[in-house]
Amino acid sequence: MIRKMPWWLGGIFMAGLLLFAFSYIGAGRPIGASTYVPYFAGILFNLDPKEYPYLQEVHNAGAWEGVMLLGALAGGFLTSIFVTKTFKFTLMPPAWKKYKNDSVKSRLIWSFVSGFLLIIGARLAGGCTSGHFLSGMSQGAISSMIFGGVVLVTLLITGKLFYKSEADDVR
Amino acid sequence: MLDRILSIFTTVGQEPHGSVWIVLLIGFIFGVIVQYTRVAEFEKIAGFAMLKDTVVPKMLFLAIGLASIGLYIMVEMGYAEYHIKPVILGGLIVGGILFGIGMAIFGKCPGTGPVSIAEGRIDVMVGAAGGIFGGLFFTLYYDKFKMIMGESLGKPTLNTIFTGHEGLSILVFGIGLIIISIIIPLRELDDK
Repeated sequence: MIRKMPWWLGGIFMAGLLLFAFSYIGAGRPIGASTYVPYFAGILFNLDPKEYPYLQEVHNAGAWEGVMLLGALAGGFLTSIFVTKTFKFTLMPPAWKKYKNDSVKSRLIWSFVSGFLLIIGARLAGGCTSGHFLSGMSQGAISSMIFGGVVLVTLLITGKLFYKSEADDVR
Repeated sequence: MLDRILSIFTTVGQEPHGSVWIVLLIGFIFGVIVQYTRVAEFEKIAGFAMLKDTVVPKMLFLAIGLASIGLYIMVEMGYAEYHIKPVILGGLIVGGILFGIGMAIFGKCPGTGPVSIAEGRIDVMVGAAGGIFGGLFFTLYYDKFKMIMGESLGKPTLNTIFTGHEGLSILVFGIGLIIISIIIPLRELDDK
């Protein structure tokens, strides 16, 4: 079996999945993937939704995305074992070593910090790559286009400033 | 805590459309597509931030272009409805900046991160812990964050801006994105 699906086939399938999710025979709603995070945080830290208005706001969407996430974990896991054969416990991506540094500690600290920023950012904007880019822009929503533009510019500036442009040859 | 975890399924079961199984299926297919196309790899997202890999924007723009046209037709035929997010300028701009910085450094977004964890990436698991604390922080200080987000300026879309030419505006938008996805030169960063 081919170990990798080409981008254009992935794009076609992703569009089909999005349309199925939107349709009434599917879920009648867009795909999203960042609302479940505060929802899970509320459960993990045992916060009472009565005291935290935000938990009430994300109650339904958070649960929906939590269940979708379970499916995504299963789908990703099985594909990585049987199809792409890429399942492996690793601490550092190869390109981090080439374009940043070879310190595991540095990668883990930056992962934690960037994961934190990612969720704060998504919650401020009300969506992420799934909710704003995929679902939002497919509806022609202006809010999603503003978010998409800002993310694109910031992503490229950060990529330019944070990483080295030439790869280290150390292996 | 267990009863709250189990209540997740009850909440989803009560939604007007889509059983728990359908939602699981949607997630499953999402996980397969993301894993099979390898777009959850650090090399794909951080690689795009370095402009050394263009698979993510090509796939994303193609999916949006196709879905925008398909969704418009479905809404017109009564098979679906729009769910538009409001324009909250402070939230979109400040949020977009933090999100862009986080995405470039982490090399993941909230949808691709879990798929990477399912592939055994421990650094992503640490990042997810950071994300959970982000979610906690946001929930605790929601009233402060609301001041940054600002007032909603409504929910404009291409359809409300180009009234009278809704179908045409979506068609131009969709085809434009499909063309962009094709003309972006294909570059791939080695993930070995």
